[in-house]
Amino acid sequence: MHELSIAMGIVNRALETAEEHGAETVTALTVELGSATHVNPAQLKFCIETAAKETPVAEAVVTIEEVTPLAECVCGWEGTPGTLDQAMVYAPDVTCPECGDRTTLIRGRECRLATVELPDEQSHQKSAQETPAPTQNKPPEEKRLLQDNKS
Amino acid sequence: MIHHVQKTIPNPMNSTRKTLKRIEDAVGPIRLHRFGHDHGHAHDESVSDVEADVLAEVRKRAGEIHERLAHEHGVYCVEFAGSTGGGKTMLIERLLERASEDEVIGAVVGDVAGEDDAKRFRAHGIPVENVNTEKECHLDPTMVSEAIESFDLEELDTLYLENVGNMVCPADFPLGANRRVLVVSTTEGDDVIRKHPMLVQTADIVAINKIDVAEAVGTDVDRICDDIEAVAPGTPIVETDAKNDVGIDELAAALEPDGTHAHHGEAPHSH
Repeated sequence: MHELSIAMGIVNRALETAEEHGAETVTALTVELGSATHVNPAQLKFCIETAAKETPVAEAVVTIEEVTPLAECVCGWEGTPGTLDQAMVYAPDVTCPECGDRTTLIRGRECRLATVELPDEQSHQKSAQETPAPTQNKPPEEKRLLQDNKS
Repeated sequence: MIHHVQKTIPNPMNSTRKTLKRIEDAVGPIRLHRFGHDHGHAHDESVSDVEADVLAEVRKRAGEIHERLAHEHGVYCVEFAGSTGGGKTMLIERLLERASEDEVIGAVVGDVAGEDDAKRFRAHGIPVENVNTEKECHLDPTMVSEAIESFDLEELDTLYLENVGNMVCPADFPLGANRRVLVVSTTEGDDVIRKHPMLVQTADIVAINKIDVAEAVGTDVDRICDDIEAVAPGTPIVETDAKNDVGIDELAAALEPDGTHAHHGEAPHSH
């Protein structure tokens, strides 16, 4: 119901990341979307693509990864909450299977920009000439990005 | 040839357990308004984590409203959410009628269009900020933080937030109130809770309104109560008939700052 405003937030964040790294375009982005939200994945993808038009994110391949909720209880139980049978739509069962107390969700309510792919030749010419950059996460870059964000 | 370098935005889930706890405390687990009485929330987490998560950013802004109202100015804030026509406005009016002479009350009213509800509150002699959300179907923390600037927060004791009539979106958009009252009415049918479980899970109190017509419209109030207990165990329920002034004392009692308090008791929350 509110995918467009959320999509605009995601696109803005991707634009900032590209700018921080001196990239002219974004080639791909991944969004982690919790199942315990009212954000529709297909609509979110469409809205991101729409919000990205005429921006450096316009050509980005958008992937939405759904995140299964994770709950924990004060009794120490932690796990994937069950689904409420009574409900007509998805909702996590917030009753602890161990002690019957109410659990809290520690995952499943997010809508976060998880990865942004930038063309290597624009921001990392040196490393690109030496070895093709692996697509896996590299800790030094993680660190650098975090620092960039804080500044 | 194009090589791709994948940038990974730090994910709190990949960090240590300690960091996770901190973020949970700041962002809030399933019942968002419980950022209540622990201090230092939303201050010590990585800014980048929150900015990358659009919904966490919304929750952070709600936390800032709570900080400003509750902690900086001692304003007790109660949000009313629920369907259009469920009785949110009339329930607030009944509470206004009961308020003591010296209680300074304000209201923020969200509606897609118009001033009808705002006019009703102004008739009670309180300051009202009307927010027309137009294309948005719910109040969001940014709209609320702008709206509260028009009040003298030092003078204010209580602030009512009336959300736009909507049973879906407010689940993802907490507003930073001390309490969220979800109003469901018997005319919505006795399957209303099962249709909107995730909004029910964000409520501190559920008011079942229009109990006077339950039988006439064929709604089983016990069924609604059972569903609330299944969906959001431990949530206080108050049965009301706003039109005939029934159950309002019970609602007022449930809303007492020192009464049943969502920050303690049934809902576990790690600080």
